[in-house]
Amino acid sequence: MPLTGLMTEALLLGLSSGPVCLASCTPVLVPVLAAEQKSPRGTGALLAQFLGGRLAGYLAFACLAWLLGLSLQLQPRGHALVYGLADLGLAIFLAAYALAMRTRPAAACGQPCPAARARLFAQRYRSFASVILGFVSGLTLCPPFVAAGVRAAESGGLGHSLLFFLWFFFGTSIWFAPSVGLGMLRRFAAVGVVARLTLFLLAGYYAYLALIVLGRVVLHG
Amino acid sequence: MFSRTMMQPGCAAKLAAAATLVFMVALFFQMMRTLQTYRWRRYFFVALGFLFPVGFIWQLFALRGSMSIPVERMLSGDTPFCFLAIPMMILPAAIARTVIFPGSILPTASNPHAIAAMVALWFAATLVLGKGWCSYGCFFGGIEEGFAAIPKKPRIRRIDPRWRWMPWAVLAAIVLLSAATLEPVYCMWLCPFKAVTEYPAVRSFETAVQMGIFITLFLGLVVALPLLTKKRTQCSFLCPFGAFQSIFNKTGAFDIRIDQSQCKPCLLCEKACPTLSITPEAVRAGKPLLSCMKCGACVDACVRDAAVWHIKGTDVGASSERARLMQLYSAWAFAVMFGGSIIAATLEKLFGLMV
Repeated sequence: MPLTGLMTEALLLGLSSGPVCLASCTPVLVPVLAAEQKSPRGTGALLAQFLGGRLAGYLAFACLAWLLGLSLQLQPRGHALVYGLADLGLAIFLAAYALAMRTRPAAACGQPCPAARARLFAQRYRSFASVILGFVSGLTLCPPFVAAGVRAAESGGLGHSLLFFLWFFFGTSIWFAPSVGLGMLRRFAAVGVVARLTLFLLAGYYAYLALIVLGRVVLHG
Repeated sequence: MFSRTMMQPGCAAKLAAAATLVFMVALFFQMMRTLQTYRWRRYFFVALGFLFPVGFIWQLFALRGSMSIPVERMLSGDTPFCFLAIPMMILPAAIARTVIFPGSILPTASNPHAIAAMVALWFAATLVLGKGWCSYGCFFGGIEEGFAAIPKKPRIRRIDPRWRWMPWAVLAAIVLLSAATLEPVYCMWLCPFKAVTEYPAVRSFETAVQMGIFITLFLGLVVALPLLTKKRTQCSFLCPFGAFQSIFNKTGAFDIRIDQSQCKPCLLCEKACPTLSITPEAVRAGKPLLSCMKCGACVDACVRDAAVWHIKGTDVGASSERARLMQLYSAWAFAVMFGGSIIAATLEKLFGLMV
């Protein structure tokens, strides 16, 4: 297939399935953007980080799709394994993010104690969390993503596969733009508290999903 | 003679209707006579809370012989619709143009509890009552209100105020997850009232976990904590529908205000509020929090008549009794039609047993 055709197909697939992609990512994206309580511009920067992480996840998956061909879709075990691990990653990173948000800045004592190190780590993690969460959500197999994975696997080479996912990403990302509006909620202090609690609840949900899926893989193969 | 009378066709229905009518009219009369709202409303609400599951389970056994619903019956749209699913349905309806609840839009022979009727009823009532729905319309809240009424004094008095935000977090989580999974997540995982209505048939580890969560939440939030705190803890710390309904307190015509010129403040209203909607800050601001469900407990508890019913756009305290009556007429009319019919239907079944 010529490159222009491949890119157009990927873009159209992204545009048409964007709302479903958005719905799949909102449980992670919305609490993260709301919890930080930044201005619309700051929220836009966070969204860009998240989308950057998501693009990296897409491209990593594109490599995987190309390496494994269609086998990932055809073998339930491989599918369940990727799905379970992505859910487990989401659970861990969401819970860590919620905890990091509650941690006070590390500047106070200046002594190298475990508590200060933990605070420093939490601060660093917090600044990269949206990228990491975007990456892990990029690996989650939502239905349009699986469709794009199948098409990318058939596209003929790693370069084509990566290009397909890149344009698919552009198509879906347009639908994420309105979430910058969450920055307007920052004047409500309660939004931050609610978003942090939501992050914990979602971490619990994804942990449970991971437990069920990975448990099945371990027990039944 | 009683048995012979009851055996006449339709007698149980007539008797149940008469008993419900007398009950509701007597309560309204007492509200007018004593100028108190909360106490008398609570009798109705607790009766509704305890009779609804009885009638509902009865109906389930009549229709399918069990409280559990198998997956195949869900897929064929036989799940009775519950208003708690409404907040979860909005995003999937907007994004995917689909109703995610496994029920039927219009009533059918195997599922009389249709989605359209309940949504229309909820919407009409909500426009007028706002979160008053949780005091007059919710057929689950009465269970915990009943348990909360049992102890004379609370064993647990200090509750971290941050827990108040939990229903909003649950609302956010279930709305986002329902949009992502196109499943009514709250109904599947978190609803404590599944334990006393219907639940998915336990056929796997997953459904066993679901059932475990339902029972634990019911025993913890609907039975144990109300007994320990004298508060409606499920409504205060979990119910996402309550959080969603709070938004409509902005649209309703009636609310509760605290008249600053009369207030001491003694904070009796804070102690009386069953949903932790009154805080010292709220008292200073002159109105309860958005989560106020207009039950009237604070108004009845206030010895200085500082907590008053209020019609939006009028002066605070200028015509509080008129505001109470206007709110009560609409709320009680709804309670008689909706809750009253549920009470009457269950009483009919119970009277029928006496034959």
